[in-house]
Amino acid sequence: MLRFLARRIALALVTLWLLSVIIFLASHALPGDVGRRILGPFADPRAVATLDHSLGVDRPLLVQYLDWIGGFIRGDLGTSLSFHVPVAQLLLRGLGNSVKLALVAFVIVVPLSILGGVVAALRRGTFIDRTISIGGLSATAMPEFVTSIVLILLLSITLKVLPISVQVPPDADPFTQVYHLILPSLPLVLVLFGYIARITRAGMIEALESDYTRTAVLKGLAWRTVVFRHVLRNALMPTIAVVATQTGYLIGGLVVIETMFNYQGIGQLLYTSVAQKDFPLIQAGVMTVGVVYLVATLLADISYSLLNPRIRLAGRE
Amino acid sequence: MERDAQRRLDAIRAGRSELENAGIDELLAGRVSRRQFLRWGTVVGMSLPTLAIILEACGNTTNTPSGGNIKKGGRLNIGHQTPTGAMDPILTNDLGRLTILGQCGEYLSFSDKDLKLRPVLATSWSPNADGSVWTFKIRQGVKYNDGTTPMTVDDVVATFNRLADPSLKGNNALSNFAGVLSKGNVTKVDSQTVKFQLDAPNGNFPYLVSSDNYNAIILPANYTGNWDQTFIGTGPFKLKKYTVNDSVSLDKNPTYWDQSNQPYLDGLDFKFYDKEPAAILAFQAGSLDVYTQFSVSNGQGLLTDPNTTVIDIPTSAHRQIHLRTDQGPLTDKRVRQAIALSIDRNAIITGLWNGKAQIANDHPIFKMYPSSDTSVAQRAQDVTKAKDLMSQAGKSAGFKVTLYTEQVQEIPALAQLLQAAAKAIGVDITLNITDSGTYYDKYWLDSPLGITDYGHRGVPNTFLQAPLLSTGTWNAAHFSNPTYDGLFKDYVKAIDLSAQKAVTGKIEQLLLDETPLIIPYNYDFLTAVKKKVAGVETTGMGHVNFRLAGITS
Repeated sequence: MLRFLARRIALALVTLWLLSVIIFLASHALPGDVGRRILGPFADPRAVATLDHSLGVDRPLLVQYLDWIGGFIRGDLGTSLSFHVPVAQLLLRGLGNSVKLALVAFVIVVPLSILGGVVAALRRGTFIDRTISIGGLSATAMPEFVTSIVLILLLSITLKVLPISVQVPPDADPFTQVYHLILPSLPLVLVLFGYIARITRAGMIEALESDYTRTAVLKGLAWRTVVFRHVLRNALMPTIAVVATQTGYLIGGLVVIETMFNYQGIGQLLYTSVAQKDFPLIQAGVMTVGVVYLVATLLADISYSLLNPRIRLAGRE
Repeated sequence: MERDAQRRLDAIRAGRSELENAGIDELLAGRVSRRQFLRWGTVVGMSLPTLAIILEACGNTTNTPSGGNIKKGGRLNIGHQTPTGAMDPILTNDLGRLTILGQCGEYLSFSDKDLKLRPVLATSWSPNADGSVWTFKIRQGVKYNDGTTPMTVDDVVATFNRLADPSLKGNNALSNFAGVLSKGNVTKVDSQTVKFQLDAPNGNFPYLVSSDNYNAIILPANYTGNWDQTFIGTGPFKLKKYTVNDSVSLDKNPTYWDQSNQPYLDGLDFKFYDKEPAAILAFQAGSLDVYTQFSVSNGQGLLTDPNTTVIDIPTSAHRQIHLRTDQGPLTDKRVRQAIALSIDRNAIITGLWNGKAQIANDHPIFKMYPSSDTSVAQRAQDVTKAKDLMSQAGKSAGFKVTLYTEQVQEIPALAQLLQAAAKAIGVDITLNITDSGTYYDKYWLDSPLGITDYGHRGVPNTFLQAPLLSTGTWNAAHFSNPTYDGLFKDYVKAIDLSAQKAVTGKIEQLLLDETPLIIPYNYDFLTAVKKKVAGVETTGMGHVNFRLAGITS
């Protein structure tokens, strides 16, 4: 297990290094001058030149990369070019907000969709199965901005049951915070439910039709024991992989939801930083999302290997 | 004056004493300022709601719903465009920041919605004979919102020498002061007087040190940066909490200098919005009391909402369609005139702006400016004449040209309307619409045809200089005309209105004839306010003044 972990972590570090090179080059390939972006198109050229020089963006690319990556390794993410505050401060707040929203969405969608998938598989071909499968698929197919607007209009403006503003008072208790996060997490639940439920349903059906299930049933085990101990354990493996990859999406890719609900997560922060050509923020932001993806995948691999010994044993060969 | 405002004023006047009516006469004649009138009114025993109604009827204030009685206390939730950079008066170049700056900081004077300058930190000002030296008297007894530091003449001197300094990092005021004011030429005369020695005579100079030059907040002489830590200024509010890119909360400044105009509200809570639809939904759901600026395209619902007061201010913000004069297919002025004649301005204003814009005449001396010569005929659509001009120019077979512009608000739609109109006279326009950054970096100053967004200015000097002067830094049309350059100089040094008007008529005629720019409209600044909120004052520049705003009982 340790060797397996060490290999995965080493691979993750190489991936991160590659990501750092790509994002550095990509962000510098963005058109336009940093000083001009910060000061606006109508600024005096002298002011732009002075600013470019003081920001160090007129130095050779390699020098800038080494300077940045050196700082990054030491834990210094630099200062935001447009906001003049430490990047770490902005990123931590964005990441914290994104994690909160992702957690609320996860807590709702994961049990709900696994249950949906399991029920659909156990009731295959029935009305319930069709409702879950087709309903889930339709919800997934709808873009988030459509479901967001519909939910806001319905739950917040017409029925007034959920607050639209994610502007939680700073001293609010955890329940109030969760209450404010329910509405923005609902479109995510709609997007993810169909996907996770379908994967779970497929895994369940495959496991239900397998030889070991037939053996378990034939040797007289109770149906409940068969489902929980044999079917579910095998059926959930693809679900775990899907959930893990969705973690990255939930934490780095929610620009649309964050914009609709004006939620200051890391997605919106990255979007702003690209528009502003704020190099330190773009680079550190993408690296952070990269780390989240890698950690989520690593955790998925570990839980995968715990559920299925063949995977961790394969690492020894 | 609007008819119902006049009716309300008449009704109030009927019930007032001779003394009170004399005060109203003074206000109507412009001999007393709004603040003086308010102060005087409360002394003679007039109630605040009555004063508010009189001020509104006299066109001196903005939204004060009739019967509104502002109570003391409370806070407002305000939706506002996300600031695009560090909160610092010197770096500011966007609405997101300037509106916030104006709550905590103040200017020598405030340029109101009618472009009148209201004394704030200066009590009076005057030029020398040729307008090359301006002397300002500075208000005494003013403290900063830290509660202790006094504001002095030295601060005023330091503020303007700083803003005129080209070596200052990120100095955004340079575009206002270049060629007007040089570093070191602002000096202290005595403890109450400051002298500005200008590079050249300038009749509109007071506007450049007013709230129209939003960078010009008076800061302590020893200011070195990090404004976002302190929000230091002499304004009616002070910093409570600022979360970058998210929100800012301000509290009432308990030591605000203007005793007779203390803020009603306990504080303001600004929440920043990147995208307009999210803010409009939040406003409609009741999470926001005020949304500082919205566009007609996204805010149709607000314009008709019975629970919303829309504050509608005409501004000089506009779109410039530049037609390159020195090379390419548009060098013949008859071709440029033909394109300008092909568009139906009224239809554009109705279609794109729902009427919330004013028709413009291809020059930037908009009718709202006191110096505008309104006798110059408005250019109207005339396709027959346009076709004649095309054939006179030998272009009756038409030609192809690419229009470059940016993905900002209604501009792409304007580009399409122009494309359709020009097609009728044989001009085949290809559209190249990019993000703002790419447009300004790559195409703006190097394109045969383009559309650029221009923000509001209290006087047309910048519009007449940078995009039109042969040496102008934003001259996308590459317009070079010695007569125009001479007229511009005459305009700038004209001090009084009649002297300015003598020149503006000539400038307007010249620009119509040469047509380096098509300016179809200048549009309004729209603010949405809940009915329970009163006293919010807005300006074309985007200042939203909450000093006398509050919640009605």
